[in-house]
Amino acid sequence: MEYAYLAAGLGAGISMIGAGLGIGIIGRSAMEGTARQPEASGDIRTSMIISAGLIEGATFFALAICILLALK
Amino acid sequence: MQAALRLFTLSTVFLLSVALPGFSADPDANPKRIDMLYKIADHNYLDFKPIGKIELPRIVRFDDQWHFYINTTSALNSGDGWVDEYYLANPDRIQYKDDGIKVAPVSYHLVRADGAHVQFDASITSHLMWFAFSGFLVLLVFGRLASKYNTTTRDGLLPRGTFMNLFEALIIFVRDDIARSNIGEEKYLKYTPYLLSAFFMILFMNLFGLMPWGVTSTSDVMITAVLALFTFTITQFAGTKEYWKHVLVMPGVPKLMLIILTPVEILGLFTKPFALTVRLFANMASGKLLVYSIIGMIFLFADMFGNWVGIGSAVIWVPFTLFIYAIKIFASFLQAYIFTMFSALFIGLAAADHDHEHDHAHEAAH
Repeated sequence: MEYAYLAAGLGAGISMIGAGLGIGIIGRSAMEGTARQPEASGDIRTSMIISAGLIEGATFFALAICILLALK
Repeated sequence: MQAALRLFTLSTVFLLSVALPGFSADPDANPKRIDMLYKIADHNYLDFKPIGKIELPRIVRFDDQWHFYINTTSALNSGDGWVDEYYLANPDRIQYKDDGIKVAPVSYHLVRADGAHVQFDASITSHLMWFAFSGFLVLLVFGRLASKYNTTTRDGLLPRGTFMNLFEALIIFVRDDIARSNIGEEKYLKYTPYLLSAFFMILFMNLFGLMPWGVTSTSDVMITAVLALFTFTITQFAGTKEYWKHVLVMPGVPKLMLIILTPVEILGLFTKPFALTVRLFANMASGKLLVYSIIGMIFLFADMFGNWVGIGSAVIWVPFTLFIYAIKIFASFLQAYIFTMFSALFIGLAAADHDHEHDHAHEAAH
């Protein structure tokens, strides 16, 4: 079915909206935190990368489903 | 401004030399399609494009027996009933090498002539070869570093020269910022060797993919799965009694909730290495696809508006590709760092052996 391609494309786009929002919020909070307490910037950066990586991991689960739909 | 102009001119000249032969080739042999997935896929040869190819050994199991061939050509000419998949579709286009005696492989995809099923294909492939090269490079670098520290620096272990300084900076970074901060002061030295090996293996594999003729081994899901399997195994062996108690019977939770919580926790054991696998694989593979997609825009423009528009649009696409390439160098380091850091985090979570009261007291002290 051609609809599978449509579903895969829409799914990839929608999951990217979620991931973008999530990573954007993390980035904003990290920048605010660093501006407020520059001496804690190292710890904040590590926590930021961990959280961003976890969001990325969840996004890849969504993208794996999209790829499965497209390759069906 | 002048530098940018020079870059544009250079890239256009470079593109002209690359793009023109593609246009003049006959359409039957070279259809106007770029198979990007074929380009990032695993192959049974090492490609050194204008010079030639090095075919790799084939190890195949069929008829309940293992068969070894030194390369694909010898498998095709062995008389064991192998045929290149390309010849099945084009029987009139058989190519020969070595004065017309030996049949030459085209697609390097061996199938049985009688249509029988191949039981197991354990052939050496290009991704495996570059994985091994990266392993040898890690051994070489670390062996050399160790001997240098043993011989040249008796005076307080100070690094000397570019080689030692470069690697000492990275090693100290992995030890202090990845291992110590995630695993904890008591146990981090036990796991630092693994984390260092993983970091440098992944880093070298990623950077090999950016070299001419290089292949990104980490864009293969099997390679990253094996790396994640190591982390998974080490995490389980690092697990303390406390860790297993939290996984199997979470303390302080109503008994009825355990019916839901325990399967979720056990599932969580396996989703962690899965996320590691897919993160590294997807990042490296999508980087390669991105480069091919942007370079492919030139051919798309040439197809839609004519060859000269396509060549002219290279002024936009080639610098854009160079920009993506620079990002890929950064991503090589970042993905090696993220893989190692998540490995350290998982090991640290499993190996932490303080109980809750101690934990809270520890946090309050800070």
